[in-house]
Amino acid sequence: MKQRVLIALAALAIGLAPLGISAAADVPTSGSLPHGGNYVLYRDQTLPEAAIDVWFRAPGAGYDNGSPGIARIAATAAATSTLESGKSLYGIIRSSGGRLTINVYPDIIGISAIVPTTAGRRVIAAMSAAFFSPAIDDTALKTAQRDAAVLSVARRYSSDDLLHDALFAQIFTSGPNHYPPLPETVNEIRKISLADVKTYAKRAFRSANATMSLAGNVDPTWIEAVTAGAPGSADAPIKSTLANAPANTSITGNVAGIGIAWTGPPISDERAATALDFVADYLFRDETGKVAKSVAVESGNYVSGQFITLHDPGVMLVTIGGDKPAELKQIVLGAVSALSTPLDPKAFEAARAAFIYHLAVDTQNPIEQADNLGWYAAEGNASYAPSDPSSSYWQRANTLDPAYVASVVKQYLAHPVIIELTASPASKESAS
Amino acid sequence: MKSRAAALALICAFAFPSVALAAAPAVSNSGGTTVIQQQDNAAPLVHVTFVVRAGLNRQTMAQNGVAALTAQTILRTAIDGVPLEDAVAAHGGGVHFTVDPSDVRFAVESTPAQASTVFDLFRRAVAAPAFDAKTVTSARGALQTQITMNQQIALQVGMDMLAGNDAASANAALPALGIPGALAQMGPADVRDFYAKFYRRGGSFVSGVGRLDALANGTLEALAQTLPAGDSTAVAVSLPKLEGTTHQYVTHRDIAAPWLIAQYPAPPIDSKDYGPMLVLSSFMQRTLSEIAQVPGVVSSTATSRAVGAMYQFDRTDPNLTLYVNGSIGNPNRAFATALSVASILAATKLNGPIDEFKALAAGDFVSESTSLESRAWLAVLFSQNGQSADYVGRTLNAIANTSNADLQRVARQYLGNPAIALVLPRDNSAQAQNP
Repeated sequence: MKQRVLIALAALAIGLAPLGISAAADVPTSGSLPHGGNYVLYRDQTLPEAAIDVWFRAPGAGYDNGSPGIARIAATAAATSTLESGKSLYGIIRSSGGRLTINVYPDIIGISAIVPTTAGRRVIAAMSAAFFSPAIDDTALKTAQRDAAVLSVARRYSSDDLLHDALFAQIFTSGPNHYPPLPETVNEIRKISLADVKTYAKRAFRSANATMSLAGNVDPTWIEAVTAGAPGSADAPIKSTLANAPANTSITGNVAGIGIAWTGPPISDERAATALDFVADYLFRDETGKVAKSVAVESGNYVSGQFITLHDPGVMLVTIGGDKPAELKQIVLGAVSALSTPLDPKAFEAARAAFIYHLAVDTQNPIEQADNLGWYAAEGNASYAPSDPSSSYWQRANTLDPAYVASVVKQYLAHPVIIELTASPASKESAS
Repeated sequence: MKSRAAALALICAFAFPSVALAAAPAVSNSGGTTVIQQQDNAAPLVHVTFVVRAGLNRQTMAQNGVAALTAQTILRTAIDGVPLEDAVAAHGGGVHFTVDPSDVRFAVESTPAQASTVFDLFRRAVAAPAFDAKTVTSARGALQTQITMNQQIALQVGMDMLAGNDAASANAALPALGIPGALAQMGPADVRDFYAKFYRRGGSFVSGVGRLDALANGTLEALAQTLPAGDSTAVAVSLPKLEGTTHQYVTHRDIAAPWLIAQYPAPPIDSKDYGPMLVLSSFMQRTLSEIAQVPGVVSSTATSRAVGAMYQFDRTDPNLTLYVNGSIGNPNRAFATALSVASILAATKLNGPIDEFKALAAGDFVSESTSLESRAWLAVLFSQNGQSADYVGRTLNAIANTSNADLQRVARQYLGNPAIALVLPRDNSAQAQNP
């Protein structure tokens, strides 16, 4: 922990003043949990709330990739199982006026609590007990299965989610990224047994495999409230296998849309990954993005785009909806292609300044900060998290130039995979 | 063994709350402007909210939209050849405005490195807006685009309709951005006159949050001195009140499902009823969500988010609004149940403990008061009338001091006859047959 702080302070002293981070800025600290695992803590004592996350590296569809949904079910069951106090983690958070969110991705899981500061220590104790020493019973499993079933049904009506899953299945031939985070049918959810969930939770939710990320008005001494866990080593970030030449395709669902994806650099290639974040911001950010601004909102049209920073590789993903998806697809492809020519220096400078401002806007709340710190740690590059003002991310962002961005676009965004999602006739009928 | 240790840790956690809440914002006066400062070393930005008494109640009924047009003209004013909002964005910042019944408030922010430049750009535009035809026309176009977008947000449409139900002055209930027809009639002279008359220092606020240390000394005070000294007064416009105890407003928009919205009057923040109303609002929010949600589900879903309760304590005429998005299974049932719950709360004695509802209200408040913009605005709101700007402390105390009797008193006093707005989908098939 001390070493990390010293490095950060040294970086501030030698190079960060030009980036707008003066010596007065607070920076996160990090260290080891009492019984295995790590934490990163970003304290802001001017706020009345605390964000408390725990993140794990674990495959969403199980260690054999044969049980889509098991990660969410295990996490929900752990959060709703009764602790020694007689309440579940979920119950404790709710009764303290907070909110619990369970985020499951193909290769990582994040449990996120936002609570008034006065409840922070209690929630850390409960979170560590619920996950580092899970005691999942049949009641908790049924709650988790019901929750997953509702989410699974809702997912069928989200073109963004359907296209995301379909594109990942097309880009990756195997590994967690190939599988959806939730199965398509409720029957598949019911098939996941208590024994399977317990086995999965025991392996995935080890404290040694965890990073706790805390932000807002948090006290470093709260770490002492982590009483469960066991020493060990974390799992390595999980890789998925890329398809050689993924083909365009079409699928049918309850809703319509178009999805476009490109595989990008790994999280370790910080400069290229930051360049693609810049591209996503420049083209697709709501209200300010070049493409987003050109979309007529009256017809319910939308274009949503982001670069998803993953261990290896990242994915640039764009989803399109509305009544003119084919037209919008051409706009998107044209705009991306145009960026393979360097932007005018003055325009680039303004776009980079806007990008840096948007980064700061998106990481101003404790819940955003804790999620961001946890995600980057779980994906294998904690020192690159944008929520940390002393991280390498800011240096990369501030030193982007037009020629480099154009070269990254040429390298990674030349060969898109496109999936058309068509609403089935039955869906169209019921919609009208 | 491990479980026992965890239980002990829980007991300790209850016994020794270890974190102090934030200090209250620092408040001073600079020549008629109240300057509020909340330094935050962990914030990634510098944010300043600038409040001027030039809101809706400074317009006549015929001037619907001039307050917004004036504010948008400032954002379109060219500084060194570039419109302010573009110049701010190009320097790593953002600027936008909100028109309230009595105020217009500009929210300006930037990265610490660019703060001096961005706030200087803003100060110059506010001090000398460009009232030429090109700038005003550009501003009008931007407003009309925004109005078109707002018309697709059913909740916003409903709230706009309900705004007039209890407004003290008719002009304060006009649509915040005006209506396209009225805006089309306004030219540079209207905007120039409105600015000259109402952009005054009296009653204004400059509220800064975040990395204020990145600003040159005196920046906030200089912003406060931008406008000429003096006060302005509201334009009083009274219209006859509608008769009857319950009012219903119905309109149609191009939306997929109907929205049902009920609104009750509610107390302001300096009322003894403020804390109890926060608790009631949170209780209503949770009850509505649980009515709509599949029983026992842990995750937030589109269904649970389709209903809600909002206590708008920052309005000149505060209100409690309940809403149901008809895309859920049976919106009538959810809406009827919500209204019934409100009535039952008013009529039935509450005997059980309300600690969980109080925790919920505290949690809701703090989670909505962490963005820099909300912190700046809440500090303004709470420091009005010379009171403490400590919005967190005052609110948490008000919630903590709420008793069962308070809850019932407030329910009885306010949750009587709601005004109701229905925003319904257009019948496009009928339109097609009878164009």
